[in-house]
Amino acid sequence: MPMYQVKPVFGDDIKTDLPTCMYKLPNIHAQRSASGCSEHALQNGTEVDPAFRDLEVRQDKIMRRLNELKAAVDGLAKTVTTPDADLDQTVTSLSQSPTATSFRGTADLDSLLGKDLGALRDIVINANPARPPLTLLVLHAMLCQRYRVLSSVHVHSSVSGVPAQLLSCLGPRHADSYVRQRFQLGFTLIWKDVSKLQMKFSIQNMCPIEGEANVARFLFRLVAPYPSDPALATLVDSWVDTAFFQLAEGSAKERSAVLRALNGALGRDPWLAGPELSLADIACYCCVLQTGPAASSPANVQRWLKACENLGHFGPANPLLQ
Amino acid sequence: MTKDAVQGAAEEADQAQSKKGLKKQQKEAEKAAKKAEKQAKLAADTQSTDEDDFAKDRYGVPQMVQSQQKLDRVLVRVQKLTPEKADQLIWVRARVHTSRAKGKQCFLVLRQQQFNVQALVAVGERASKQMVKFAANINKESIVDVEAMVRKVEQKIESCTQQDVELHIERIFVISQAEPRLPLQLEDCVRPDGEGDEDGRATVNQDTRLDNRVIDLRTTTSQAIFRLQSGVCQLFRDTLTNKGFVEIQTPKIISAASEGGANVFTVSYFKTSAYLAQSPQLYKQMCICADFDKVFCVGPVFRAEDSNTHRHLTEFVGLDIELAFNYHYHEVIESITDTMVQIFKGLRDKFQTEIQTVGKQYPSEPFRFLEPTLRLEYTEGVAMLREAGVDMGDEEDLSTPNEKLLGRLVKEKYDTDFYVLDKYPLAVRPFYTMPDPNDKKYSNSYDMFMRGEEILSGAQRIHDAQLLTERAIHHNIAYFYYVTNTLVAGKIKSYIDSFRYGAPPHGGGGIGLERVCMLYLGLHNVRQVSMFPRDPKRLTP
Repeated sequence: MPMYQVKPVFGDDIKTDLPTCMYKLPNIHAQRSASGCSEHALQNGTEVDPAFRDLEVRQDKIMRRLNELKAAVDGLAKTVTTPDADLDQTVTSLSQSPTATSFRGTADLDSLLGKDLGALRDIVINANPARPPLTLLVLHAMLCQRYRVLSSVHVHSSVSGVPAQLLSCLGPRHADSYVRQRFQLGFTLIWKDVSKLQMKFSIQNMCPIEGEANVARFLFRLVAPYPSDPALATLVDSWVDTAFFQLAEGSAKERSAVLRALNGALGRDPWLAGPELSLADIACYCCVLQTGPAASSPANVQRWLKACENLGHFGPANPLLQ
Repeated sequence: MTKDAVQGAAEEADQAQSKKGLKKQQKEAEKAAKKAEKQAKLAADTQSTDEDDFAKDRYGVPQMVQSQQKLDRVLVRVQKLTPEKADQLIWVRARVHTSRAKGKQCFLVLRQQQFNVQALVAVGERASKQMVKFAANINKESIVDVEAMVRKVEQKIESCTQQDVELHIERIFVISQAEPRLPLQLEDCVRPDGEGDEDGRATVNQDTRLDNRVIDLRTTTSQAIFRLQSGVCQLFRDTLTNKGFVEIQTPKIISAASEGGANVFTVSYFKTSAYLAQSPQLYKQMCICADFDKVFCVGPVFRAEDSNTHRHLTEFVGLDIELAFNYHYHEVIESITDTMVQIFKGLRDKFQTEIQTVGKQYPSEPFRFLEPTLRLEYTEGVAMLREAGVDMGDEEDLSTPNEKLLGRLVKEKYDTDFYVLDKYPLAVRPFYTMPDPNDKKYSNSYDMFMRGEEILSGAQRIHDAQLLTERAIHHNIAYFYYVTNTLVAGKIKSYIDSFRYGAPPHGGGGIGLERVCMLYLGLHNVRQVSMFPRDPKRLTP
């Protein structure tokens, strides 16, 4: 039945400029209007404007170059903190305060140590006063910079007395130490007559960890993660083991061999494993100085020892080395 | 006829009698003969012994020592019998521990407190056969005076404490004889429990020991235990006196129960009744308010608890401390834990012999502690227990098994048998405990544990009369009578009054001497550490 017809208000020949910066959706009325198909070609990527692709490629290249430059600058910043670079006083003064940013990324305590059950997460370390664990004291200082740590030192009844500097090796007592709940982490050092250094943390879930090297690895992971590159991580581990087995406990021949190896490695890179300070450097520093004075080591080693000291983390170890 | 019969009967009777009489006579004659024989034999024997006994005046039972004469004789202690005294003639007074005859010799073990030495009587020029027999027959536990030559031995005598010497007796006299049958044997008393069961030899059970305490206390183990206990008391006094504490004596007959009405002994007091003190708590605090600053007292404590457990007595010795502090009650905790650590160190360094002696009969792990003492908070303890699988509420008190489990967990992690648990929930503490300033659920109170068992309960005390009254009312402690807002009367009025005229902030705690000794040595029953224990079932000796 013919109805009345209205003349179209708009002619159907008007062209509209649709913006190209928005994404397109297929027309839900596509069955009826076949004329709108031409607009979808761009979205499907079958006919991409070659100029656009060139733009993308150029952008990628620029981003990559920027990243490389950033890495190079960071590396330079590290070497600047060592005194052998020819720089003036102003730069070296910056390096006196311990740099909290020398490690990339902080670890989350809950993910590392398990859920907080309301009790202070107390790390208990049993050490023999005849062989104070310098590495652990250095790591303790690093932990204190990252978390609120309640440190305490006890003397076990199996030992009749320890010198005063061993009692104060963890620094002065925190003002808040009478409320244990205010702290995130506990660090309890017990001077005890044990043959091997031992660490206890969660007696339900963990067996005790023995050996200064292993405890150092545990504590280091709370400070910063191990390098993700497996080769580098293995290098760190092997230097740590070398430090504790051959340097600290080895014969004179083994020690000089290790010092020569250190000398060689430090000739190539400023640090032992990778572009920055790692657990390998901490362990080797403590063990090298425990076996002999700094002046008796080879040239590269001496330079590296100075570099370590300038970072400022090794303060707690110094009073015990005298 | 009857006369005849009677006569006849009489005759018969006579005859019978005479027969009986004959028999009787015969028997008597036999008896007499035997007796005569015996006597003759004895006479012969004594004659022979009398003949041979040249040592008659060198042994025997002299008259009872009634201070007839004052001899200047020097008696040497068995402890001092060492090779240095070899070839000296000395006098010793000791008990006969054992005596064993072997032919012409008699071996004796002479005991003096923890020390014993072997002694020998041998037939020779100084001793006769009769003397050896006499020595072998001396009853055990008799006290003897012995003159002997000290001789070195080549082979160590393992069974005695003095292993390098033995005594060759020349004279032996019994000063005080013991009855031949003893109610218990000392070797049985000292035998460790497991050993007795294995060999089929007896060990003495505790009740028998306690009934015959006089003999039981003579054993080396008992001597060692009570010497150590004396040492604890001594160290307690010395350490506190060096810190500037004053020793006080508090009354034990009091008018009102301090800790709670149920566990007091009542005594009749003239026309009324009074109570035996459960603790010197109230009087310690009054001394602090009287400006003594730091006080301690050692005295009996009476608790009428009908608990028949391994660690409860109705009367025990309490060592109590109270001191005023400056700003934080942790000063009190540090003072008390330091005192305890000094006591442990003193025992470790000076009483090793006693600890080893006790360890022979009751073996246990040596006592371990940390200096400064480990202090954990109650929430930490609850978290550790929950981690181990115990289900408990935040404000719940620790039950005895939970305390023991927590002790084991702490020992596992920190390797200490002594620690402090701080910040107990307010609901489980007495009314005079100061509440925590930041969290109403908790209080400034603490418990100290040895080997997982509680030895001290202490706190910061409320020193404000107003707050104290509120807390007392909250706990329904006593009946108060108020007249226009002023406390007029009530059972603890005098206690609250002592805080109305300026009282410093103070705190303290008390330990039980017996419990501390028991836990230090790792023993299992507090009656072993109490000389004459009192419990709901025992009032004597």
